[in-house]
Amino acid sequence: MLTIALAKGELLKESIRLLKSVGLDFSAFLEPGCRQLQIEDPTGTARALLVRNGDVPVYVEYGQAQLGIVGYDVLREQNPNVAHVVDLKFGGCRMSVAVKKDSPYRSPLELPMHGRVASKFVHCAREYFESLDLPVEIVYLHGSVELGPITGMSEAIVDLVATGNTLRENGLIEIDTLFQTTARLIAYPLSYRLNTDNVHEYIDRLRAQVAEPAKA
Amino acid sequence: MVYQPPSGARDLLPLDVAQKRWIEHRLQQVLHRWGYHRIITSTLERLDTLMAGGAIAQRQILQIQTANDEALGLRPELTASIARTAVTRLAEGNQPQRLYYNANVFRRPEEGSHSGQQEFYQAGVELLGGSGLLADAEILLLLMESLDNVGLGQQWQLVLGEAGLTRSLLLAFPEAIRSKVRRAIAHLDRIALEEMPLSDDLRERALFLLELRGKPADVIQKVSRLPLDETQWAAVNHLKSLIELLQTTMQTSAEGQATTIPIVLDLSLIRTFDYYTGIVFEAISHGPAGQFSLGQGGRYDELLGVYHPQGESRPGIGFSLELERLHQALLPTGQLPSTTPRSDWLVVSSQESTHAIAFAHSQKLRQSQDMLRVEVDLGGRSQDGIRTYAEGRGIANIAWIKADGSIVEERLAPAL
Repeated sequence: MLTIALAKGELLKESIRLLKSVGLDFSAFLEPGCRQLQIEDPTGTARALLVRNGDVPVYVEYGQAQLGIVGYDVLREQNPNVAHVVDLKFGGCRMSVAVKKDSPYRSPLELPMHGRVASKFVHCAREYFESLDLPVEIVYLHGSVELGPITGMSEAIVDLVATGNTLRENGLIEIDTLFQTTARLIAYPLSYRLNTDNVHEYIDRLRAQVAEPAKA
Repeated sequence: MVYQPPSGARDLLPLDVAQKRWIEHRLQQVLHRWGYHRIITSTLERLDTLMAGGAIAQRQILQIQTANDEALGLRPELTASIARTAVTRLAEGNQPQRLYYNANVFRRPEEGSHSGQQEFYQAGVELLGGSGLLADAEILLLLMESLDNVGLGQQWQLVLGEAGLTRSLLLAFPEAIRSKVRRAIAHLDRIALEEMPLSDDLRERALFLLELRGKPADVIQKVSRLPLDETQWAAVNHLKSLIELLQTTMQTSAEGQATTIPIVLDLSLIRTFDYYTGIVFEAISHGPAGQFSLGQGGRYDELLGVYHPQGESRPGIGFSLELERLHQALLPTGQLPSTTPRSDWLVVSSQESTHAIAFAHSQKLRQSQDMLRVEVDLGGRSQDGIRTYAEGRGIANIAWIKADGSIVEERLAPAL
């Protein structure tokens, strides 16, 4: 059966809305009190797995899910061996470097050599600072990275920014953007090549839906 | 202290070995019937040998420190080793050479890979000095029969591409961006192609190539619509003839026992770097164990020239099968042995003076018929203890050597 890995959190609602528009209804995940981790759509054609953001590419890379919806930031961070199929255009935000507003730094190159940068996205951060040829120490944190500069543990952070409200409320400002990110439809490469469980039919419908949401 | 195996290493216990040998034996039966001879090359190779073909990067190789600073590595695949030895030591022999191998290979886990496994087992073939339709068809039919003989039936599919044709279709792209286009196609990264700075025509061409797969007849029709040069037409016609030949052969030989393997023609099947010049292919399992690659191969008509002192090349084609993956695909089918072979006899000596009689009797039993398995009890157990042991191991017969040298045979009830 066609299996789709969906990410908990920010992207879930819109992912479910989009899939519904192509005939796959997984809205049971959104019902209050729903504790199920996998559900079938009412027509019995597909199954959805509800997993952590960073686990979506893993299920797709191992072929347990033929399709997945996940942010580009996660794909950049993990570099998984999956097919990047459609830019779904929602969930837009940016990966940014931010520092304390009252710090002297206004560009990443002004950061002190061997300074510390806190991030959940260590791979992206390392790649970025290597491309600047700026040696910094990347500190991995699981969340609330804004506390890094606030407490003085790090000079800067690399994190996802949607509205910028969290940064503002914590007295931080962005000084550079690494890349823009949106939700992506990814596929297990072998399923993509062999059109397993008709993945291409759903890929084409999702692509059409994203291109012209008014239609269908 | 507890000695741990190195990370990524695994030990095969007797049952694992029995199952692995079962698979290898069935593969070898087919390879022998097709006239292939086994070759054993060195596990250790010089780094430059391993990397000469251009498909292996240094970071994939487990390197070895040697006393005289020779840069050595554990082989990540066998084709380089076989090419190295074929151009020198096998060059004088009659062509073609039909060779097969069954060996361990080593790969350094890629950054970000979830599995730390470093040692793998591969069985594969190389057909050297043969080109054209018959050689390509032989290798694909050999792959089909090999997988049929291990009992995979129709639980797999063949994905077939043409690396030479795809490479030449990529020449339409400006050199500056060609490798990026190739990389995006190889990794099925459609979004990268959509975002690449290309003219509308070229973008359309790139996306066309990315999706150039499906039923062979449809794909051949699609690619025929492109403006092709003479060489490209030759490649398309070759593919057409090859697929027809395979399908006719499968139908002819499958009478009564229908095992036709579905073929997907996929002209996006390329890698970022490789040495393939003609057909390339992958065998993909789609049984109850899931969908994964069982092995891959292709034609490499220039590789042998890389190893030849005067750069003279000979055509070559081959494939390799990943034995762990075959094992994984076969496990749910219930065909693999579920126990190690049982001993047929347990010979028990009652006291020191009868030990020699016990060994002599065991030897007589062993020689009485082919592959009779006989163990000698090592003492220190009661008669009941010995019976419990024999029953637990599924041993059917016990020979008790009595103090007077007489032999009492006891047949145990067969285990359920």
